[in-house]
Amino acid sequence: MSATIALLGQPNSGKSTVFNALTGLRQHVGNWPGKTVEKKEGTFTRNGKEYAVADLPGSYSLTANSDEEVITRDFIESGKADVVCILADSSQLERSLYMMADYAGINVPSFLVLNMADVAKEQGKTINAAALEEKLGIPVIQISATDSKKYDSFFAAMDRAITQKSVINISGLEAALSKVEGYESIKELIPEGSVKNVSSMWLGVKAIENDKLVVDQLKEALSESTLGQVDALRKTSGGALATGNSKFVWIDELLDGVLEEKKEKVSISKLDKLYLSPVWGKPAVILTILLGLIGSFIPALPLMGVGSAIGALKGPVANALAGAGVSDTLIALICGVIIQSFAYIFQMLGFVFGVLLVFGLLEEVGVMARISYVFDNTMAKLGLQGKSVMPFLVSFGCTMGGAAGSRVIDNWGQKVLTIALAWAVPCGAAWSVIPMLSALFFGPGAVLVIIAILATMLLHMWVTARVFGGKLVKREDRFGMIMELPPYHKPKWGALFRYVLGRTKDTFFRVSKVVLLVCTLFWLLSYSFVPGADPVLFKIGKVIEPVTRVFGMGWKLFMAFIASSVGKEGALGVISALFTDGSFYTAFSDAMSGAARDANLGTLLLANVSKPEALAFIFAITFNMPCVVALAATYQETASAKWTARIAAYYTAGALILSAVVYHIGLLIW
Amino acid sequence: MSLSEMKADREAIVGSINGDSRFLSRITSIGITPGCRIRVMRNDKNRPMLVYSRDTMIALNRKECMGIEVEEVQQ
Repeated sequence: MSATIALLGQPNSGKSTVFNALTGLRQHVGNWPGKTVEKKEGTFTRNGKEYAVADLPGSYSLTANSDEEVITRDFIESGKADVVCILADSSQLERSLYMMADYAGINVPSFLVLNMADVAKEQGKTINAAALEEKLGIPVIQISATDSKKYDSFFAAMDRAITQKSVINISGLEAALSKVEGYESIKELIPEGSVKNVSSMWLGVKAIENDKLVVDQLKEALSESTLGQVDALRKTSGGALATGNSKFVWIDELLDGVLEEKKEKVSISKLDKLYLSPVWGKPAVILTILLGLIGSFIPALPLMGVGSAIGALKGPVANALAGAGVSDTLIALICGVIIQSFAYIFQMLGFVFGVLLVFGLLEEVGVMARISYVFDNTMAKLGLQGKSVMPFLVSFGCTMGGAAGSRVIDNWGQKVLTIALAWAVPCGAAWSVIPMLSALFFGPGAVLVIIAILATMLLHMWVTARVFGGKLVKREDRFGMIMELPPYHKPKWGALFRYVLGRTKDTFFRVSKVVLLVCTLFWLLSYSFVPGADPVLFKIGKVIEPVTRVFGMGWKLFMAFIASSVGKEGALGVISALFTDGSFYTAFSDAMSGAARDANLGTLLLANVSKPEALAFIFAITFNMPCVVALAATYQETASAKWTARIAAYYTAGALILSAVVYHIGLLIW
Repeated sequence: MSLSEMKADREAIVGSINGDSRFLSRITSIGITPGCRIRVMRNDKNRPMLVYSRDTMIALNRKECMGIEVEEVQQ
């Protein structure tokens, strides 16, 4: 590795676009050690040298208010980055230079990238990057991040920053800070070199801002009496407001003669009049998402077709293998597990592709921020961002799509919580089973069942938000919205497609691993390896029947319940097979493809299952783990096996408890 | 008066800002500081407030806006 570059910028500064353009598909998403914050790293090669890129978590400043900021600070101060690329938005230069002003005083080499040059130009703003470079003392360039062909100037600036070890000239900022009460005295109390890689000016400013990390660092570096003096001076200073003000005073001075613009009176655009309307905002937002989802089926269909085609191979392949004298066990493994898994994965992958494309598009054009605004009040009650409404809506179609769509949520804890709640939303497969079963047992009463299911869904989400919310989104991290609504942008299709394809490919590999693993496990449990002997699952089911009776499920229904955690459509197939004394393994294998509904399933069920049992079963499979692919997608998005397992166990237990409650209520009625 | 009492389409100069140090640092970093000019775009019930400042449209939590003291100015 010849150098490590860290990307630093406020939200909407185009940081991820630069990251994607630099690394292409050579990126890795994980978690920062011990923290619930997403870690994005990647590499690129230029002139035969390999570079590492770290996308630092998004935040508006460097003050250690949240895990994101602490991670960013630790990374920079540790000296892991050889150079820091600071990003700012050319179209909102004054405000977005705040990050640069907050960085000034840190001695790690840096360069400044003024992004979105195209938008600024459209607004009639001209920026003299050379003049700004002169004032700042670090390389400054202007680019449109989405134009990956014009990265030559980016690399040139990067090289200069590395070789010259360019550090921001802070004399102008110091002059502005000298007007802050107590600043000069505090700075004098802190000797240079007290903390590695940062100047005493920077430590002084952060001390005034009462930054937790700096306060701790100073405790280590200073004597007790000096610390007491610093503390006393801090209390009488103007705090973050005073230093923030100085930073903007300095920014204004920097921009004098650099930025030329026409001042125009702002007004709300026509589109925003609709989206931000107190009456029409919510319907407009929901309609936009739904239209987007319908539209997403068009690019998704080819992938779904591939899935069906793979599924159709099962029969011919099985016959061919049998003809070639391959053992039944191996055929079952190849056709029932491997081919079936990939058929399943590809069908859902189509949905993921579509959802990523639509969500990516909405984010890029700026609609996503409006969605956050419109649903902020509602979702804040669950401890979530307004955007979380989108994965919920998607989950009515497919939970895997919902999990993939939670990518738009930039806070890891809120993302995991969103997925955990999205699991409670009955998916398309559940909606194909619930009305059919309800109508069979309850006739017109089916409407009431569906209403009860929807009411339970809301209750489930509310309870789940309380169960997991405390850990995932800590009380002290729940604060009111302070968010920029960016101007609408035209989408850059090339970059968007590259990103979506990359993500879909990534999802495919990770999801395949989990799906194959889980399906093989189920296969091992449900397959008769010795002809005539009962499979393990069958034996367990019979032994624990007295227990499952409490939940309103005999062993046959309980097996169907287990099958529903692999795939919901499959539950009915299992019932069909078991009540007609079909082969246990065939039932399970077909459960995956969902094709084994017996023609007289209705008669079979009515003859063997009572009304309370039926109602309990409907609730149990609806609120069970959605399916194995949703499980895999959850693992992919949360990057945490622990949380994925926790959510899965919670839903399995929750479904059984619901089932027991419903069953006993049913016994009172009938 | 407090920012939350401002009507839509009015402009003001920010006076003092009150809140915990976390709020102060966040509001500063998005560009709202004492002395800056701010324009109220929308002020609807059950929604965050929408203001315009330093070339940026910003959504702000209503409760926290009560801590922002402003002085209305003629446009």
